[in-house]
Amino acid sequence: MSSLGNLFSKFTSYMYKHYGENPGTMLVHTGVLGWIFSAAGQLFAIALNDKIPKEQKSFLYPQEAADAAINILSFYIITSSFKNVASKLVSTGKLSTSKIRNYIKSKGINPAEYIGKLESNIEKDFPEIKDDYKAFKNGVDVVASTVGSILSCNIVTPVLRNQYAAKKQKEAIAEMHKNDPQKDVKPKTLSMDAYIKMASLKFPSSNLKI
Amino acid sequence: MVLHGINSSNTSAPLRSRLQASIRSIKQKGLDMLPGAEFSSEKFLYRLKDIGKNFSSDKQRLVLGATAIVTQPVIDAKNKSVDEKTRKVSVARTVAKIIAGTLTGFFIRYGCIKAIKAFSQIPGKGVPKYKTIFTPKGITDNTTDAFEQYRNAMGTVIALGVMLFTNFLIDAPLTKFLTNVFTKHQETEDKK
Repeated sequence: MSSLGNLFSKFTSYMYKHYGENPGTMLVHTGVLGWIFSAAGQLFAIALNDKIPKEQKSFLYPQEAADAAINILSFYIITSSFKNVASKLVSTGKLSTSKIRNYIKSKGINPAEYIGKLESNIEKDFPEIKDDYKAFKNGVDVVASTVGSILSCNIVTPVLRNQYAAKKQKEAIAEMHKNDPQKDVKPKTLSMDAYIKMASLKFPSSNLKI
Repeated sequence: MVLHGINSSNTSAPLRSRLQASIRSIKQKGLDMLPGAEFSSEKFLYRLKDIGKNFSSDKQRLVLGATAIVTQPVIDAKNKSVDEKTRKVSVARTVAKIIAGTLTGFFIRYGCIKAIKAFSQIPGKGVPKYKTIFTPKGITDNTTDAFEQYRNAMGTVIALGVMLFTNFLIDAPLTKFLTNVFTKHQETEDKK
């Protein structure tokens, strides 16, 4: 019991240390965790659904796993890239406040030789203005993470998912009709009945960002 | 063999440093291409600071939901891989999923962050032990930005755990109900 308490205490300390000063990172990481939980819920729903025949389950598992991979990877790659680029712009002073730039100048540093240079790091080089710098950086990080997550969740992922789902559903319908005498007649697009049939096999909140 | 080994180690070091220099140069060029800006407006900086301090995951979920309702139905409506009727059902289902997901996602995150605030008090006289259950060891000040961010992060993680269940219990039936409502509405509109 006490080891469980210790473990929990370590967990709270870890959360404080890692996310206390990095709200942008927290939004990216909890977003990824949300997608992972959503995918896990989806897989559990299929596993627990007695109405789905075993053969169809063996098809749905890899489909869901691939679907989850698209969601998680596109979210992580796009959102963390936005956040990392924004962080670099702020740490090198390319995106900055007048107060921070004036402070750098007041230290006798030529802005042309410092601002926007890869090796520049305002937080390390000027710890005296840490509070102003952190407040600005956290704001930029949160805005960048949110813009990245909007782009990935609401534009890139739905487009990729629609293409992937259409491809997989056409394959599944072709599989269903393989013993059909008219099997050579392949539908160009999905029919209403086929869509409903496929959708009914799946948990209604499939691909839902929790 | 030995000579070959010495030769390769002698040549690999400059090669590695040349490679590193090339990567640095590419990164620098990439950084140079990105736009820079200097912000001086006090009002803007105050808003930005406020966002960095108070924009928690519940608010992010609302923003994601609001933008999703603008973009995702349009993407589904333009999906040429499915026929017209399917597209209409698909749009109805997407709108229903966004509404159900945003409502539950927002309220559960909001509630969990509030709950974590209530159970992460600073230990002291008159503070029951259960109210410090989520307070990390060694914390004596609960007014710092870092502690506020910790509460948001912890509340979000707990909310994600809660949503594993509400995804089945609330989202799924609500999505189904709303999809049927929107589909029926669409059918009535089509008949007119």
